[in-house]
Amino acid sequence: MSSLKSQTVSHNISSPYLSRLARIERVTRLTEKERLFNIAIEDSKTLGHAPGQFIMLSIPGFGEAPISVSSPPDKGNMFELCVRAVGNLTNALHNLTKEDKIWIRGPYGKGFPVENLKHKDLLFIAGGIGLVPMRSLIKTVLNERSSYGSVHLLYGIKGPDEILFKDELLQWGRTGNINIQITVDKPHPEWKGHTGVVTTFIPPLKIDETKTAAIVVGPPVMYKYVIMSLGDKRIAGHDIYLSLERRMKCGLGKCGHCQINSIYVCQEGPVFRLSNIRYLREAI
Amino acid sequence: MEYRFLSKKGVASFVTGLLKEFRVYGPVKLVPAGSKQGKDGFPMYGEVASPDELNLLHTPTHLSPKQYLFPPKETLLKFKKGAPTSPFIPLQRGTPFLSPSGGGQGEEIAPVVEAYDQALFGVHPCDIHAIRLLDRVFAYGTPDANYLKRRERTVIIGIDCLPDKHCFCKSVNTMKAESGFDIFLHDIGSGFLAEIGTQKGKELLFKYTKTRRATLKEASKIDIFQKKKAESFTSSINAEASTLPLLYSGSYNSPVWEKIGKICYGCGSCNNVCPTCYCFDVRDEMKANLTEGERYRVWDACLLEDFAKVAGGHNFRKTRAERLRHRFNRKFQYQVDRFGGLFCVGCGRCIRTCLVNINIVEVTNELIEESNRKP
Ligand SMILES: Cc1cc2nc3c(=O)[nH]c(=O)nc-3n(C[C@H](O)[C@H](O)[C@H](O)COP(=O)(O)OP(=O)(O)OC[C@H]3O[C@@H](n4cnc5c(N)ncnc54)[C@H](O)[C@@H]3O)c2cc1C
Ligand code: SF4
Ligand code: SF4
Ligand code: FES
Repeated sequence: MSSLKSQTVSHNISSPYLSRLARIERVTRLTEKERLFNIAIEDSKTLGHAPGQFIMLSIPGFGEAPISVSSPPDKGNMFELCVRAVGNLTNALHNLTKEDKIWIRGPYGKGFPVENLKHKDLLFIAGGIGLVPMRSLIKTVLNERSSYGSVHLLYGIKGPDEILFKDELLQWGRTGNINIQITVDKPHPEWKGHTGVVTTFIPPLKIDETKTAAIVVGPPVMYKYVIMSLGDKRIAGHDIYLSLERRMKCGLGKCGHCQINSIYVCQEGPVFRLSNIRYLREAI
Repeated sequence: MEYRFLSKKGVASFVTGLLKEFRVYGPVKLVPAGSKQGKDGFPMYGEVASPDELNLLHTPTHLSPKQYLFPPKETLLKFKKGAPTSPFIPLQRGTPFLSPSGGGQGEEIAPVVEAYDQALFGVHPCDIHAIRLLDRVFAYGTPDANYLKRRERTVIIGIDCLPDKHCFCKSVNTMKAESGFDIFLHDIGSGFLAEIGTQKGKELLFKYTKTRRATLKEASKIDIFQKKKAESFTSSINAEASTLPLLYSGSYNSPVWEKIGKICYGCGSCNNVCPTCYCFDVRDEMKANLTEGERYRVWDACLLEDFAKVAGGHNFRKTRAERLRHRFNRKFQYQVDRFGGLFCVGCGRCIRTCLVNINIVEVTNELIEESNRKP
């Protein structure tokens, strides 16, 4: 009745939920559950991300999800995502191939403070899929290797079949002047390397705590133990960077899903300095 | 402060006038308990077509007027799929019918920002305060076009009220709205005094009804009413509002959370009825033709089990105790830190709606007692 009087009008003002069209250029199977997607933004503009930032990726009809940008910020309108198939959207994505279209918005969040890391010794500690966002930073560092001190990468995964970026790891180890140590959770007949949790690599490391920064990304359970081990090495909280995962529905600081106390991880994070969140309840 | 007197008829013609320009929403007549429309016999908001549908001297409504600024379900995008570029591939999991091809040629996504001129008529001071808080949330950082466009085209006509047994706005300093409305009505028996909040409100009032300047005697009746109101509360928090953030921060490990967690159903009703709860979920839906669809947001509730669950299965607030603590802290501490101002406006809705009588005032008073007992 009164709707006759006041017509509904749609304004084309900038909705923050509007995404940009992007094209899949290549799909590489990394493991049974993870694939790497090389993506090109259709309008040829660069994504303009910093390592550690994420985008909201969507396929109409299948939903939207936060996905970290896995490539370093140097590739024009191209970037890479590594996605594990776990649900609606991510399974649908795994069914896409070259030339298929996806929608993206972002980048969002605060990434790693690359400038603060320059000239430091870097200790990367990744658990499982945590290597995905970390890879953006590792590659940024390797692109300018001489600006950094020694670089270690400690990487823990469930089993040898789940190692991500195998070829790259080999190549980084060979040419990148970086000490890589990989461990699997449980013994495996084909695995000749180290077995056990990733923290076991930390005590024997020779670390100059005055010039080391640690970058830690992994599942929630990993953080507590890694932080304790880093404490034993006397690395200060402000030299430890973590990326926290939370459920995210908007990436805009509105939907409330990523909230930890008064912090919205999609806004103030996902990358945090440990010293800023050490006493934040429910963070770690 | 500028007050204009208008008769009861004058209010009716004001509404009739507004109806020419706006969709008008307000508390409608009390619906009998058990009726489908009005839950538990509470008054509720509805669209009105004539002034006599309004129930102006209402007790608190079941849902707050936030539903007209932040609808329970709201389309954000519409999309149309193009011809798939890759052959049809049935999904192993998920929808078996739909090719996930992210669209080939001609896939389109268009933003939807819907707004129309609307008047919220008869909004209580607590809800006016709540809207001001929502304004802050949706405007900070990346502005939320959907909310802000609606807000821009909304006029608010407030009205003063008396507390029921669960109202406690006096304890959180929201008993009176100093601003945040276009017009605010005070019932003085012989008619109403309209307090002018904005130029726009004034113009509408003058355009659609006859008013005259209020006499001093009439204006003094507002104070008398306010005094009566202040003395009518049966529910109150036993501490200064300004001390509540600290109280909550110190009560993180209180046994109260476990206690209420044991009886809570985790139903999320308290979130839905709360005028300052704004969390939402975003979902996609395809039409039956499978080529058109929309992305929309729906109210979500932090009391629901999956609210903070992530892909690996980890749930950051597994227990109801943790989720209740989160919600209560959002009202008295977390959002206060983030946005300033308490996020509980004392409307009592969560108390009225809770099936197991979890009462935010009683819980807060229990925390106060506990903290007083601490050495
Ligand atoms: C900042 C950030 C960066 C991420 N980066 C990557 C990445 O680079 N690669 C990758 O594979 N995954 C990443 N994830 C996880 C990824 O967002 C989820 O796996 C994805 O949301 C699952 O969506 P879905 O539709 O496939 O699953 P759904 O069908 O929605 O659900 C499957 C499971 O995922 C959980 N879930 C649902 N929505 C979300 C959400 N928005 N956030 C977290 N969990 C959710 C559900 O509780 C359920 O257990 C990241 C998450 C965050 C927060
Ligand atoms: S309304 Fe009551 S039972 Fe339902 S989630 Fe809220 S506190 Fe728990
Ligand atoms: S927490 Fe309860 S009393 Fe406070 S504003 Fe929300 S619904 Fe009203
Ligand atoms: S993802 Fe919505 S508030 Fe952070």
